[in-house]
Amino acid sequence: MSSESGAILHEGATISARFKMLLRLHKLEARRGLAEIVDNPISNFMTVLVIAIALALPAGLQVLLENGKTLSQSWDGASRISLYLKLNVSNSQTEHLAKSIKDNPAIDSVEVIYPEQALKDFSASSGFADALAELDSNPLPPTLVVQPNVNHTSPLASETLLSEFKQFELVEKAQLDLDWVRKLHALLELAEKAASALGLALGLAVLLIVGNTIRLSVQNRREEIEVVKLVGATDAFIRRPFLYTGFWYGLLAGVLCWLILEVSLIWLHQPVQNLAGLYQSEFAISSLNIKQSFQLVGISCALGLLGSWLSVGRHIRNIEPR
Amino acid sequence: MIQFAQVCKRYPNGQDALRNVDLEIKAGEMAFLTGHSGAGKSTMLKLISLMERATSGQVIINGKNLNRIKRRKIPSIRRDIGMIFQDHRLLFDRSVFDNVALPLMIAGYDHREIGRRVRAALDKVGLLSKEKNTPIMLSGGEQQRVGIARAVVNKPPLLLADEPTGNLDPELSAEIMKLFEQFNQVGVSLLIASHDLSLLAQMHYRTLVMKESRLVQDQIDDVLEVDDSFEQDNDTNLVRSADEF
Repeated sequence: MSSESGAILHEGATISARFKMLLRLHKLEARRGLAEIVDNPISNFMTVLVIAIALALPAGLQVLLENGKTLSQSWDGASRISLYLKLNVSNSQTEHLAKSIKDNPAIDSVEVIYPEQALKDFSASSGFADALAELDSNPLPPTLVVQPNVNHTSPLASETLLSEFKQFELVEKAQLDLDWVRKLHALLELAEKAASALGLALGLAVLLIVGNTIRLSVQNRREEIEVVKLVGATDAFIRRPFLYTGFWYGLLAGVLCWLILEVSLIWLHQPVQNLAGLYQSEFAISSLNIKQSFQLVGISCALGLLGSWLSVGRHIRNIEPR
Repeated sequence: MIQFAQVCKRYPNGQDALRNVDLEIKAGEMAFLTGHSGAGKSTMLKLISLMERATSGQVIINGKNLNRIKRRKIPSIRRDIGMIFQDHRLLFDRSVFDNVALPLMIAGYDHREIGRRVRAALDKVGLLSKEKNTPIMLSGGEQQRVGIARAVVNKPPLLLADEPTGNLDPELSAEIMKLFEQFNQVGVSLLIASHDLSLLAQMHYRTLVMKESRLVQDQIDDVLEVDDSFEQDNDTNLVRSADEF
Protein backbone atom coordinates (compact mmCIF):
# COMPACT_ATOMS: atom_id res chain seq x y z
CA MET A 1 0.00 0.00 0.00
CA SER A 2 2.60 2.51 1.02
CA SER A 3 4.72 1.72 -1.99
CA GLU A 4 1.84 2.85 -4.14
CA SER A 5 1.45 6.21 -2.48
CA GLY A 6 3.74 8.67 -4.14
CA ALA A 7 4.97 6.02 -6.54
CA ILE A 8 4.37 8.29 -9.50
CA LEU A 9 7.43 10.36 -8.89
CA HIS A 10 9.47 8.19 -6.63
CA GLU A 11 9.98 5.40 -9.08
CA GLY A 12 8.55 5.58 -12.57
CA ALA A 13 8.92 9.20 -13.52
CA THR A 14 11.52 10.37 -15.98
CA ILE A 15 13.64 13.35 -15.12
CA SER A 16 11.86 15.54 -17.63
CA ALA A 17 8.48 14.59 -16.15
CA ARG A 18 9.72 15.47 -12.70
CA PHE A 19 11.08 18.74 -13.97
CA LYS A 20 7.79 19.56 -15.70
CA MET A 21 5.93 18.78 -12.50
CA LEU A 22 8.23 20.98 -10.48
CA LEU A 23 7.85 23.77 -13.03
CA ARG A 24 4.08 23.51 -12.84
CA LEU A 25 4.21 23.58 -9.07
CA HIS A 26 6.42 26.65 -9.10
CA LYS A 27 4.15 28.38 -11.59
CA LEU A 28 1.20 27.66 -9.35
CA GLU A 29 2.99 28.89 -6.27
CA ALA A 30 4.31 31.98 -8.02
CA ARG A 31 0.73 32.78 -8.97
CA ARG A 32 -0.46 32.11 -5.44
CA GLY A 33 2.27 34.36 -4.08
CA LEU A 34 1.19 37.13 -6.44
CA ALA A 35 -2.47 36.57 -5.62
CA GLU A 36 -1.55 37.13 -1.99
CA ILE A 37 -0.46 40.63 -2.96
CA VAL A 38 -3.24 41.36 -5.44
CA ASP A 39 -5.97 40.21 -3.05
CA ASN A 40 -5.09 42.97 -0.65
CA PRO A 41 -4.09 45.77 -2.98
CA ILE A 42 -4.09 48.82 -0.74
CA SER A 43 -2.02 47.63 2.19
CA ASN A 44 0.32 45.73 -0.10
CA PHE A 45 0.75 48.78 -2.33
CA MET A 46 1.80 50.68 0.79
CA THR A 47 4.39 48.03 1.55
CA VAL A 48 5.69 48.10 -2.00
CA LEU A 49 5.79 51.89 -1.92
CA VAL A 50 7.73 51.95 1.34
CA ILE A 51 10.26 49.50 -0.08
CA ALA A 52 10.49 51.50 -3.31
CA ILE A 53 11.15 54.75 -1.45
CA ALA A 54 13.71 53.08 0.80
CA LEU A 55 15.49 51.90 -2.34
CA ALA A 56 15.01 55.14 -4.27
CA LEU A 57 16.97 57.20 -1.72
CA PRO A 58 20.34 55.43 -2.04
CA ALA A 59 19.79 54.63 -5.71
CA GLY A 60 18.94 58.26 -6.48
CA LEU A 61 21.98 59.46 -4.58
CA GLN A 62 24.09 57.01 -6.55
CA VAL A 63 22.75 58.36 -9.84
CA LEU A 64 23.45 61.94 -8.79
CA LEU A 65 26.96 61.01 -7.72
CA GLU A 66 27.57 59.30 -11.01
CA ASN A 67 26.48 62.47 -12.75
CA GLY A 68 28.75 64.50 -10.49
CA LYS A 69 31.65 62.28 -11.46
CA THR A 70 31.04 62.68 -15.17
CA LEU A 71 30.86 66.39 -14.64
CA SER A 72 34.12 66.54 -12.72
CA GLN A 73 35.79 64.31 -15.28
CA SER A 74 34.80 66.64 -18.09
CA TRP A 75 36.55 69.37 -16.14
CA ASP A 76 39.65 67.32 -15.53
CA GLY A 77 40.79 67.92 -19.10
CA ALA A 78 40.67 71.61 -18.36
CA SER A 79 43.00 71.47 -15.40
CA ARG A 80 45.24 74.10 -16.87
CA ILE A 81 47.90 76.01 -15.01
CA SER A 82 48.16 79.74 -15.54
CA LEU A 83 51.60 81.30 -15.12
CA TYR A 84 51.47 85.07 -14.60
CA LEU A 85 54.93 86.40 -15.37
CA LYS A 86 56.55 89.46 -13.86
CA LEU A 87 55.51 92.73 -15.49
CA ASN A 88 58.98 93.58 -16.75
CA VAL A 89 59.47 90.34 -18.65
CA SER A 90 59.99 91.00 -22.35
CA ASN A 91 58.16 89.21 -25.12
CA SER A 92 61.27 87.33 -26.22
CA GLN A 93 61.92 86.16 -22.68
CA THR A 94 58.31 85.03 -22.51
CA GLU A 95 58.65 83.11 -25.72
CA HIS A 96 61.85 81.52 -24.55
CA LEU A 97 60.26 80.39 -21.29
CA ALA A 98 57.27 79.03 -23.17
CA LYS A 99 59.56 76.97 -25.35
CA SER A 100 61.48 75.52 -22.40
CA ILE A 101 58.26 74.58 -20.64
CA LYS A 102 56.95 73.00 -23.81
CA ASP A 103 60.02 70.71 -23.80
CA ASN A 104 58.85 69.16 -20.55
CA PRO A 105 57.32 65.78 -21.47
CA ALA A 106 54.52 66.32 -18.96
CA ILE A 107 53.27 69.33 -20.85
CA ASP A 108 50.91 69.07 -23.74
CA SER A 109 50.80 72.66 -24.93
CA VAL A 110 51.67 76.16 -23.86
CA GLU A 111 49.65 79.15 -24.94
CA VAL A 112 51.30 82.54 -24.77
CA ILE A 113 49.19 85.61 -24.05
CA TYR A 114 51.16 88.79 -24.51
CA PRO A 115 50.15 91.81 -22.43
CA GLU A 116 48.97 93.73 -25.51
CA GLN A 117 46.72 90.89 -26.58
CA ALA A 118 45.42 90.42 -23.05
CA LEU A 119 44.56 94.10 -22.78
CA LYS A 120 42.78 94.05 -26.13
CA ASP A 121 40.73 90.98 -25.15
CA PHE A 122 39.93 92.37 -21.78
CA SER A 123 38.78 95.72 -23.08
CA ALA A 124 36.67 93.99 -25.68
CA SER A 125 34.99 91.63 -23.23
CA SER A 126 34.77 93.78 -20.13
CA GLY A 127 33.21 96.93 -21.58
CA PHE A 128 35.84 99.06 -19.85
CA ALA A 129 37.51 99.94 -23.17
CA ASP A 130 37.32 103.72 -22.53
CA ALA A 131 38.67 103.49 -19.03
CA LEU A 132 41.46 101.19 -20.11
CA ALA A 133 42.44 103.55 -22.90
CA GLU A 134 43.14 106.20 -20.24
CA LEU A 135 45.88 104.08 -18.67
CA ASP A 136 49.43 105.11 -19.52
CA SER A 137 50.87 101.66 -19.17
CA ASN A 138 49.52 98.14 -19.61
CA PRO A 139 48.79 96.71 -16.13
CA LEU A 140 48.47 93.16 -17.43
CA PRO A 141 51.41 90.75 -17.22
CA PRO A 142 52.41 88.33 -19.94
CA THR A 143 50.71 85.01 -19.25
CA LEU A 144 51.44 81.40 -20.14
CA VAL A 145 48.56 78.96 -20.11
CA VAL A 146 50.07 75.53 -19.60
CA GLN A 147 48.09 72.42 -20.42
CA PRO A 148 49.57 69.31 -18.81
CA ASN A 149 49.06 66.16 -20.83
CA VAL A 150 46.42 63.67 -19.78
CA ASN A 151 48.75 61.66 -17.59
CA HIS A 152 49.51 64.65 -15.43
CA THR A 153 46.09 66.02 -14.63
CA SER A 154 45.63 64.20 -11.33
CA PRO A 155 45.63 66.42 -8.27
CA LEU A 156 49.05 65.17 -7.17
CA ALA A 157 50.77 65.60 -10.56
CA SER A 158 49.23 69.06 -10.98
CA GLU A 159 50.52 69.97 -7.58
CA THR A 160 54.07 68.87 -8.49
CA LEU A 161 54.02 70.82 -11.72
CA LEU A 162 52.66 73.84 -9.93
CA SER A 163 55.43 73.91 -7.35
CA GLU A 164 57.98 73.42 -10.13
CA PHE A 165 56.64 76.42 -12.01
CA LYS A 166 56.55 78.54 -8.90
CA GLN A 167 60.34 78.31 -8.66
CA PHE A 168 60.89 79.87 -12.08
CA GLU A 169 62.46 83.29 -11.72
CA LEU A 170 60.26 84.97 -14.28
CA VAL A 171 57.04 83.66 -12.77
CA GLU A 172 55.22 86.03 -10.48
CA LYS A 173 52.32 83.74 -9.72
CA ALA A 174 51.38 80.20 -10.73
CA GLN A 175 47.78 79.17 -10.35
CA LEU A 176 45.95 75.93 -10.87
CA ASP A 177 42.81 77.00 -12.70
CA LEU A 178 40.50 74.43 -11.26
CA ASP A 179 41.74 74.06 -7.76
CA TRP A 180 38.18 73.44 -6.73
CA VAL A 181 37.91 70.40 -9.00
CA ARG A 182 40.06 68.64 -6.45
CA LYS A 183 37.81 69.75 -3.67
CA LEU A 184 34.86 68.47 -5.64
CA HIS A 185 36.66 65.15 -6.04
CA ALA A 186 37.16 64.87 -2.32
CA LEU A 187 33.58 65.83 -1.70
CA LEU A 188 32.30 63.26 -4.16
CA GLU A 189 34.38 60.58 -2.52
CA LEU A 190 32.90 61.46 0.84
CA ALA A 191 29.39 61.51 -0.58
CA GLU A 192 29.98 58.13 -2.18
CA LYS A 193 30.91 56.63 1.17
CA ALA A 194 27.86 58.22 2.72
CA ALA A 195 25.69 56.83 -0.07
CA SER A 196 27.08 53.34 0.48
CA ALA A 197 26.36 53.56 4.18
CA LEU A 198 22.87 54.84 3.48
CA GLY A 199 22.35 52.08 0.93
CA LEU A 200 23.41 49.47 3.45
CA ALA A 201 21.15 50.85 6.15
CA LEU A 202 18.14 51.14 3.87
CA GLY A 203 18.82 47.70 2.36
CA LEU A 204 18.62 46.34 5.88
CA ALA A 205 15.41 48.30 6.38
CA VAL A 206 13.96 46.68 3.26
CA LEU A 207 14.85 43.24 4.63
CA LEU A 208 13.05 44.07 7.85
CA ILE A 209 10.00 45.47 6.07
CA VAL A 210 9.66 42.40 3.86
CA GLY A 211 10.42 40.07 6.76
CA ASN A 212 7.77 41.65 8.93
CA THR A 213 5.17 41.66 6.18
CA ILE A 214 5.82 38.00 5.52
CA ARG A 215 5.65 37.25 9.22
CA LEU A 216 2.16 38.77 9.38
CA SER A 217 1.15 36.86 6.30
CA VAL A 218 2.37 33.61 7.87
CA GLN A 219 0.39 34.36 11.01
CA ASN A 220 -2.72 35.13 8.98
CA ARG A 221 -2.47 31.76 7.34
CA ARG A 222 -1.68 29.85 10.48
CA GLU A 223 -4.66 27.57 10.17
CA GLU A 224 -3.92 26.77 6.58
CA ILE A 225 -0.30 25.97 7.43
CA GLU A 226 -1.44 23.61 10.17
CA VAL A 227 -3.72 21.76 7.77
CA VAL A 228 -1.05 21.53 5.11
CA LYS A 229 1.41 20.20 7.67
CA LEU A 230 -1.11 17.61 8.77
CA VAL A 231 -1.41 16.20 5.29
CA GLY A 232 2.35 15.82 5.09
CA ALA A 233 3.78 19.04 3.70
CA THR A 234 7.46 19.71 4.28
CA ASP A 235 8.60 23.12 5.51
CA ALA A 236 10.10 23.73 2.08
CA PHE A 237 6.72 23.20 0.44
CA ILE A 238 5.04 25.62 2.82
CA ARG A 239 7.84 28.13 2.46
CA ARG A 240 7.69 28.43 -1.31
CA PRO A 241 4.58 30.60 -1.80
CA PHE A 242 5.87 32.99 0.85
CA LEU A 243 9.23 33.20 -0.86
CA TYR A 244 7.41 34.03 -4.07
CA THR A 245 5.44 36.72 -2.27
CA GLY A 246 8.73 38.23 -1.08
CA PHE A 247 10.10 38.04 -4.57
CA TRP A 248 7.04 39.78 -6.00
CA TYR A 249 7.33 42.52 -3.40
CA GLY A 250 10.92 43.02 -4.50
CA LEU A 251 10.08 43.02 -8.18
CA LEU A 252 7.16 45.44 -7.86
CA ALA A 253 9.13 47.70 -5.54
CA GLY A 254 12.14 47.64 -7.89
CA VAL A 255 10.03 48.67 -10.86
CA LEU A 256 8.27 51.35 -8.82
CA CYS A 257 11.63 52.62 -7.53
CA TRP A 258 12.90 52.82 -11.11
CA LEU A 259 9.81 54.82 -12.08
CA ILE A 260 10.29 57.19 -9.14
CA LEU A 261 13.91 57.78 -10.15
CA GLU A 262 13.09 58.29 -13.83
CA VAL A 263 10.33 60.78 -13.06
CA SER A 264 12.54 62.67 -10.60
CA LEU A 265 15.37 62.85 -13.10
CA ILE A 266 13.07 64.07 -15.86
CA TRP A 267 11.82 66.64 -13.42
CA LEU A 268 15.40 67.72 -12.67
CA HIS A 269 16.47 67.72 -16.31
CA GLN A 270 15.39 71.29 -17.20
CA PRO A 271 16.73 73.07 -14.08
CA VAL A 272 20.07 71.28 -14.42
CA GLN A 273 20.32 72.25 -18.06
CA ASN A 274 19.56 75.86 -17.17
CA LEU A 275 22.24 75.83 -14.51
CA ALA A 276 24.76 74.19 -16.82
CA GLY A 277 23.90 76.78 -19.46
CA LEU A 278 24.95 79.52 -17.05
CA TYR A 279 28.39 77.91 -16.89
CA GLN A 280 28.56 77.48 -20.66
CA SER A 281 28.39 73.73 -20.17
CA GLU A 282 26.65 71.20 -22.33
CA PHE A 283 26.13 68.98 -19.32
CA ALA A 284 22.82 67.18 -19.16
CA ILE A 285 21.77 64.96 -16.28
CA SER A 286 21.70 61.33 -17.36
CA SER A 287 19.30 58.76 -15.98
CA LEU A 288 19.87 55.05 -15.41
CA ASN A 289 21.09 53.04 -18.36
CA ILE A 290 19.67 49.61 -19.13
CA LYS A 291 22.28 47.75 -17.12
CA GLN A 292 21.79 49.93 -14.07
CA SER A 293 18.02 49.60 -14.34
CA PHE A 294 18.28 45.83 -14.34
CA GLN A 295 20.74 45.99 -11.47
CA LEU A 296 18.31 48.08 -9.46
CA VAL A 297 15.39 45.73 -10.07
CA GLY A 298 17.63 42.71 -9.51
CA ILE A 299 18.87 43.99 -6.16
CA SER A 300 15.31 44.77 -5.16
CA CYS A 301 14.14 41.24 -6.05
CA ALA A 302 17.06 39.72 -4.16
CA LEU A 303 16.28 41.81 -1.08
CA GLY A 304 12.61 40.78 -1.24
CA LEU A 305 13.51 37.13 -1.54
CA LEU A 306 16.15 37.29 1.18
CA GLY A 307 13.90 39.20 3.58
CA SER A 308 11.15 36.68 3.11
CA TRP A 309 13.54 33.74 3.40
CA LEU A 310 15.01 35.04 6.65
CA SER A 311 11.55 35.47 8.14
CA VAL A 312 9.50 32.60 6.81
CA GLY A 313 11.64 29.65 7.91
CA ARG A 314 11.61 30.65 11.54
CA HIS A 315 7.92 31.40 11.71
CA ILE A 316 6.78 28.32 9.83
CA ARG A 317 8.82 26.16 12.17
CA ASN A 318 6.93 27.57 15.10
CA ILE A 319 3.55 26.58 13.73
CA GLU A 320 2.70 23.02 14.61
CA PRO A 321 -0.73 21.47 14.18
CA ARG A 322 -2.72 21.10 17.37
CA MET B 1 0.09 -1.27 11.66
CA ILE B 2 -0.20 0.47 15.01
CA GLN B 3 1.74 -0.71 18.02
CA PHE B 4 1.83 0.93 21.45
CA ALA B 5 4.19 -0.52 24.06
CA GLN B 6 4.00 0.89 27.59
CA VAL B 7 3.26 4.33 26.21
CA CYS B 8 3.00 7.23 28.64
CA LYS B 9 2.30 10.81 27.79
CA ARG B 10 2.62 13.61 30.28
CA TYR B 11 1.92 17.15 29.09
CA PRO B 12 4.15 20.00 30.22
CA ASN B 13 1.44 21.11 32.68
CA GLY B 14 1.89 17.81 34.54
CA GLN B 15 -1.30 16.21 33.29
CA ASP B 16 -0.95 12.51 32.51
CA ALA B 17 -2.83 11.90 29.28
CA LEU B 18 -1.78 8.30 28.73
CA ARG B 19 -0.56 5.78 31.26
CA ASN B 20 1.12 2.55 30.21
CA VAL B 21 -0.93 1.93 27.12
CA ASP B 22 -0.31 -1.32 25.25
CA LEU B 23 -2.09 -1.84 21.98
CA GLU B 24 -1.77 -3.49 18.64
CA ILE B 25 -3.86 -2.91 15.58
CA LYS B 26 -2.97 -5.14 12.67
CA ALA B 27 -2.79 -4.12 9.04
CA GLY B 28 -6.25 -4.16 7.49
CA GLU B 29 -8.01 -3.94 10.84
CA MET B 30 -10.74 -1.47 11.71
CA ALA B 31 -11.11 -0.38 15.31
CA PHE B 32 -13.05 2.16 17.32
CA LEU B 33 -11.64 4.17 20.16
CA THR B 34 -14.06 5.47 22.73
CA GLY B 35 -14.16 6.89 26.23
CA HIS B 36 -14.68 10.12 28.16
CA SER B 37 -13.52 13.45 27.02
CA GLY B 38 -10.04 13.77 28.40
CA ALA B 39 -9.66 10.01 28.73
CA GLY B 40 -6.77 10.12 26.26
CA LYS B 41 -8.37 9.40 22.88
CA SER B 42 -7.12 12.56 21.23
CA THR B 43 -3.69 12.15 22.73
CA MET B 44 -3.49 8.69 21.24
CA LEU B 45 -4.33 9.98 17.78
CA LYS B 46 -1.86 12.83 18.22
CA LEU B 47 0.92 10.40 19.09
CA ILE B 48 0.19 8.36 15.97
CA SER B 49 0.18 11.43 13.73
CA LEU B 50 3.28 12.85 15.43
CA MET B 51 1.52 15.95 16.65
CA GLU B 52 2.81 14.93 20.05
CA ARG B 53 5.63 12.68 21.19
CA ALA B 54 5.38 9.95 23.79
CA THR B 55 7.02 10.75 27.12
CA SER B 56 8.04 7.11 27.44
CA GLY B 57 7.33 3.82 25.70
CA GLN B 58 7.30 2.94 22.02
CA VAL B 59 4.89 3.95 19.31
CA ILE B 60 5.45 1.96 16.14
CA ILE B 61 3.48 2.84 13.03
CA ASN B 62 3.83 0.91 9.82
CA GLY B 63 7.01 -0.68 11.16
CA LYS B 64 8.57 2.69 12.00
CA ASN B 65 9.43 3.56 15.57
CA LEU B 66 8.20 7.13 15.94
CA ASN B 67 10.60 7.83 18.78
CA ARG B 68 13.40 7.73 16.28
CA ILE B 69 11.75 9.95 13.67
CA LYS B 70 13.51 13.28 13.31
CA ARG B 71 11.54 16.44 12.82
CA ARG B 72 12.19 16.72 9.11
CA LYS B 73 11.03 13.15 8.53
CA ILE B 74 7.61 13.85 10.04
CA PRO B 75 6.00 14.86 6.71
CA SER B 76 6.84 11.55 5.08
CA ILE B 77 5.26 9.67 8.01
CA ARG B 78 2.12 11.79 7.81
CA ARG B 79 1.77 11.09 4.10
CA ASP B 80 1.08 7.47 4.95
CA ILE B 81 -1.69 8.43 7.37
CA GLY B 82 -5.00 9.84 6.23
CA MET B 83 -6.52 12.06 8.90
CA ILE B 84 -10.18 12.97 9.28
CA PHE B 85 -11.25 15.62 11.76
CA GLN B 86 -14.49 16.50 13.43
CA ASP B 87 -14.17 20.09 12.22
CA HIS B 88 -13.06 18.87 8.77
CA ARG B 89 -10.12 21.28 8.58
CA LEU B 90 -10.71 22.24 4.98
CA LEU B 91 -9.15 25.27 3.31
CA PHE B 92 -12.04 27.61 2.67
CA ASP B 93 -10.29 29.76 0.10
CA ARG B 94 -9.84 26.85 -2.27
CA SER B 95 -12.19 24.70 -4.27
CA VAL B 96 -13.25 21.22 -3.25
CA PHE B 97 -10.98 19.86 -5.96
CA ASP B 98 -7.96 21.78 -4.68
CA ASN B 99 -8.65 20.68 -1.12
CA VAL B 100 -8.67 17.05 -2.09
CA ALA B 101 -5.66 17.50 -4.40
CA LEU B 102 -3.53 18.93 -1.57
CA PRO B 103 -1.86 15.69 -0.38
CA LEU B 104 -1.04 14.75 -3.98
CA MET B 105 0.44 18.16 -4.76
CA ILE B 106 2.56 17.93 -1.66
CA ALA B 107 3.78 14.48 -2.67
CA GLY B 108 4.64 15.85 -6.11
CA TYR B 109 2.26 13.93 -8.33
CA ASP B 110 1.87 14.64 -12.01
CA HIS B 111 -1.12 16.90 -12.62
CA ARG B 112 -2.98 14.43 -14.83
CA GLU B 113 -2.55 11.81 -12.16
CA ILE B 114 -3.80 14.34 -9.61
CA GLY B 115 -6.91 15.00 -11.68
CA ARG B 116 -7.58 11.30 -12.07
CA ARG B 117 -7.15 10.45 -8.42
CA VAL B 118 -9.02 13.46 -7.05
CA ARG B 119 -12.02 12.69 -9.24
CA ALA B 120 -11.88 9.04 -8.21
CA ALA B 121 -11.84 10.05 -4.53
CA LEU B 122 -14.65 12.57 -4.98
CA ASP B 123 -16.66 10.01 -6.89
CA LYS B 124 -16.17 7.58 -4.03
CA VAL B 125 -17.68 10.01 -1.52
CA GLY B 126 -20.37 11.08 -3.98
CA LEU B 127 -19.25 14.65 -4.50
CA LEU B 128 -17.93 14.56 -8.04
CA SER B 129 -20.44 17.17 -9.15
CA LYS B 130 -19.21 19.64 -6.49
CA GLU B 131 -15.54 19.70 -7.33
CA LYS B 132 -15.62 23.37 -8.37
CA ASN B 133 -17.55 24.55 -5.30
CA THR B 134 -15.83 26.01 -2.29
CA PRO B 135 -16.34 24.13 1.00
CA ILE B 136 -18.40 26.98 2.41
CA MET B 137 -21.16 26.17 -0.11
CA LEU B 138 -21.45 22.61 1.19
CA SER B 139 -23.44 21.14 4.08
CA GLY B 140 -21.69 19.73 7.16
CA GLY B 141 -22.01 16.17 5.91
CA GLU B 142 -20.66 17.11 2.52
CA GLN B 143 -17.74 18.95 4.08
CA GLN B 144 -16.93 15.87 6.11
CA ARG B 145 -16.98 13.79 2.95
CA VAL B 146 -14.57 16.22 1.30
CA GLY B 147 -12.34 15.74 4.33
CA ILE B 148 -12.56 11.97 3.85
CA ALA B 149 -11.78 12.27 0.16
CA ARG B 150 -8.70 14.29 1.05
CA ALA B 151 -7.62 11.67 3.58
CA VAL B 152 -7.88 8.77 1.16
CA VAL B 153 -6.80 10.42 -2.09
CA ASN B 154 -3.18 9.28 -1.88
CA LYS B 155 -4.27 5.83 -0.69
CA PRO B 156 -2.61 5.78 2.71
CA PRO B 157 -2.47 2.38 4.45
CA LEU B 158 -3.88 3.90 7.64
CA LEU B 159 -6.82 6.21 8.30
CA LEU B 160 -7.32 8.06 11.58
CA ALA B 161 -10.65 9.69 12.29
CA ASP B 162 -11.35 11.92 15.29
CA GLU B 163 -15.08 12.13 15.96
CA PRO B 164 -15.88 11.97 12.25
CA THR B 165 -19.62 11.93 12.92
CA GLY B 166 -19.62 14.29 15.86
CA ASN B 167 -21.65 16.98 14.15
CA LEU B 168 -23.79 14.79 11.92
CA ASP B 169 -27.25 13.35 12.29
CA PRO B 170 -27.58 9.52 12.56
CA GLU B 171 -28.40 9.00 8.90
CA LEU B 172 -25.34 10.88 7.67
CA SER B 173 -23.24 9.18 10.33
CA ALA B 174 -24.28 5.79 9.05
CA GLU B 175 -23.32 6.86 5.52
CA ILE B 176 -19.89 7.93 6.68
CA MET B 177 -19.43 4.62 8.51
CA LYS B 178 -20.41 2.76 5.38
CA LEU B 179 -17.64 4.60 3.55
CA PHE B 180 -15.17 3.59 6.22
CA GLU B 181 -16.21 -0.02 5.90
CA GLN B 182 -15.65 0.17 2.16
CA PHE B 183 -12.13 1.46 2.68
CA ASN B 184 -11.50 -1.27 5.19
CA GLN B 185 -12.65 -3.86 2.68
CA VAL B 186 -9.87 -2.84 0.29
CA GLY B 187 -7.29 -3.29 3.02
CA VAL B 188 -7.02 0.09 4.70
CA SER B 189 -6.50 0.04 8.48
CA LEU B 190 -8.75 2.42 10.39
CA LEU B 191 -8.76 3.81 13.89
CA ILE B 192 -11.86 5.83 14.62
CA ALA B 193 -12.30 7.82 17.82
CA SER B 194 -15.98 8.28 18.58
CA HIS B 195 -18.45 9.02 21.32
CA ASP B 196 -21.35 7.78 19.33
CA LEU B 197 -22.22 4.69 21.36
CA SER B 198 -25.39 3.84 19.48
CA LEU B 199 -23.40 3.94 16.26
CA LEU B 200 -20.68 1.73 17.76
CA ALA B 201 -23.31 -0.72 18.90
CA GLN B 202 -24.51 -1.14 15.32
CA MET B 203 -21.02 -1.71 14.00
CA HIS B 204 -19.48 -4.99 14.94
CA TYR B 205 -15.90 -3.99 15.20
CA ARG B 206 -13.16 -4.07 17.75
CA THR B 207 -13.68 -1.35 20.30
CA LEU B 208 -11.07 0.13 22.59
CA VAL B 209 -12.34 1.95 25.65
CA MET B 210 -10.19 4.56 27.36
CA LYS B 211 -10.72 5.65 30.92
CA GLU B 212 -8.56 7.97 32.98
CA SER B 213 -5.62 7.79 30.61
CA ARG B 214 -5.67 3.99 30.49
CA LEU B 215 -6.92 1.47 28.01
CA VAL B 216 -9.52 -0.37 30.09
CA GLN B 217 -11.38 -2.49 27.55
CA ASP B 218 -10.42 -4.07 24.29
CA GLN B 219 -13.04 -6.31 22.79
CA ILE B 220 -14.02 -7.51 19.42
CA ASP B 221 -17.56 -8.72 20.04
CA ASP B 222 -20.53 -6.46 19.69
CA VAL B 223 -21.50 -6.25 23.34
CA LEU B 224 -20.06 -3.08 24.68
CA GLU B 225 -19.98 -3.02 28.45
CA VAL B 226 -20.12 0.58 29.28
CA ASP B 227 -20.38 1.76 32.84
CA ASP B 228 -23.21 4.08 33.81
CA SER B 229 -21.21 7.20 34.35
CA PHE B 230 -19.98 7.04 30.80
CA GLU B 231 -23.53 6.89 29.45
CA GLN B 232 -24.57 9.89 31.48
CA ASP B 233 -21.63 11.98 30.41
CA ASN B 234 -22.11 11.23 26.82
CA ASP B 235 -24.18 14.24 25.80
CA THR B 236 -21.88 16.78 27.38
CA ASN B 237 -18.93 14.98 25.90
CA LEU B 238 -20.30 15.44 22.43
CA VAL B 239 -20.35 19.17 22.94
CA ARG B 240 -16.96 19.32 24.60
CA SER B 241 -15.21 17.14 22.12
CA ALA B 242 -15.75 19.76 19.45
CA ASP B 243 -12.99 21.80 21.05
CA GLU B 244 -10.58 18.93 21.10
CA PHE B 245 -7.97 17.78 18.62
